[in-house]
Amino acid sequence: MRRDAAERFLKNPEKYAHHDRVFLNNPAVMQGMGLAPLVVLATSGRNAFMLAIAVALLLTPSRLLACLLSRAVPLNDEEPSAEELEKKLLFRGLIYCGSAAVVYFLVYPILNALFGVELLSLGVYLPLLVVEPLLIYRFGRVQEWPRKAFSKGIRITVGYGLLLLLVGCIREWLAAGTVFGVTLTRPVLPMASMPAGGFIVLGVVCAVWRALVSWRKKDLRNEAGNVVGMYAHKEVNHKQ
Amino acid sequence: MKEVMDAVATFFGYAVLAIFAQNAIFTRGLGVSRLVQLVGDDRTSSWWFALMLCVTQVLVAPLAFYAGGFIAPLENRAQLRPLVYLACIAVVCLFELLVLRLVHGPRSGQLIRILPLAALNSCVLGTVLVERTQSFSLGQSLGFGLGSGLGYLLAVMLVTEASNRLRSRAIPSAFRGLPITLIYVGVLALAIYGFTGHSVIL
Repeated sequence: MRRDAAERFLKNPEKYAHHDRVFLNNPAVMQGMGLAPLVVLATSGRNAFMLAIAVALLLTPSRLLACLLSRAVPLNDEEPSAEELEKKLLFRGLIYCGSAAVVYFLVYPILNALFGVELLSLGVYLPLLVVEPLLIYRFGRVQEWPRKAFSKGIRITVGYGLLLLLVGCIREWLAAGTVFGVTLTRPVLPMASMPAGGFIVLGVVCAVWRALVSWRKKDLRNEAGNVVGMYAHKEVNHKQ
Repeated sequence: MKEVMDAVATFFGYAVLAIFAQNAIFTRGLGVSRLVQLVGDDRTSSWWFALMLCVTQVLVAPLAFYAGGFIAPLENRAQLRPLVYLACIAVVCLFELLVLRLVHGPRSGQLIRILPLAALNSCVLGTVLVERTQSFSLGQSLGFGLGSGLGYLLAVMLVTEASNRLRSRAIPSAFRGLPITLIYVGVLALAIYGFTGHSVIL
């Protein structure tokens, strides 16, 4: 760990973790966003892959578009007043969902060209992405800048895509004994392909993920403490 | 008279279907992200949220029914679906906003703040998409819309009721919060499968 990163971590560990949308602050595992596709549709590696591509094509462009359009009704405070929410929240929500729907309209032909009739296996959950909190949660938060919207969009896409693939592969292995169609074992838990199984498998994955996050944070704290201590020691030696 | 009775029976039959056998949360996971947030959010009343959700779903059903019929012959209907149904939801939201502003009751402000959360979620759009995908009639769509909202309320109540127990110290710390809530919802979903079987049309 570099010195500036170590100092930033020690100064505010939660803020440091907040920026990591892939592991330490994965939007689905830590904030419960985008659960419906994970629970119902990520039943195989292939399904998860198609969904991950759809999210990759939708999330960042729609967030960027919504960020630009929502400047007409910005929320200026982290904790907006009740009056401001009453005036702006609905319109911001409609802008965010509408932007996602417009981007969906534009990227659907790409998805169709990539996956063809296989896309039908995603059912209503593909168009449902336009109202997923993962894409639209910013409508209730303070106005962000396009650059931040872009970088956060990319990081969230990577974090969510990885989780989709992980859950899809685990459920396919449990339910059918295969991963991306390659047979590994006999089916262990056929129920894993059903939504009820999806809730339970996702719950267990979240618990393991959160335990690893907690372990990693502890590890980072020790590492950051050592790095800062080492530099402080060097500076003292240098002065002497 | 028989036709009226048939229409009423269809309406209530589809409402009951949507509350139990095709519950939005337990069988399709629709709106589960919002449910998880709602259970941990003391500022938003679950009852008022569910009321706004039910009203929106019932009002959206006829609009989406006619809009769905309008786009059905188009070649790019799959591409248009979210845009068109979202427009229906937007019209209903603006109507509800107008009514709440005009009525100006003691809870109007609270309901206006809840409205976007209740209307812009996957339960509302998902229910509309299911209704249109399965070509429900107008009566069936209205019943299914109402039942879906009530089913969501049932799910919120069941999870809220259990939330105190789900915070128990007996539960390992890594499982507390979201993981144990998901497992609990999964177990409840299994109970529903016990009654109905588990085939769900996506």
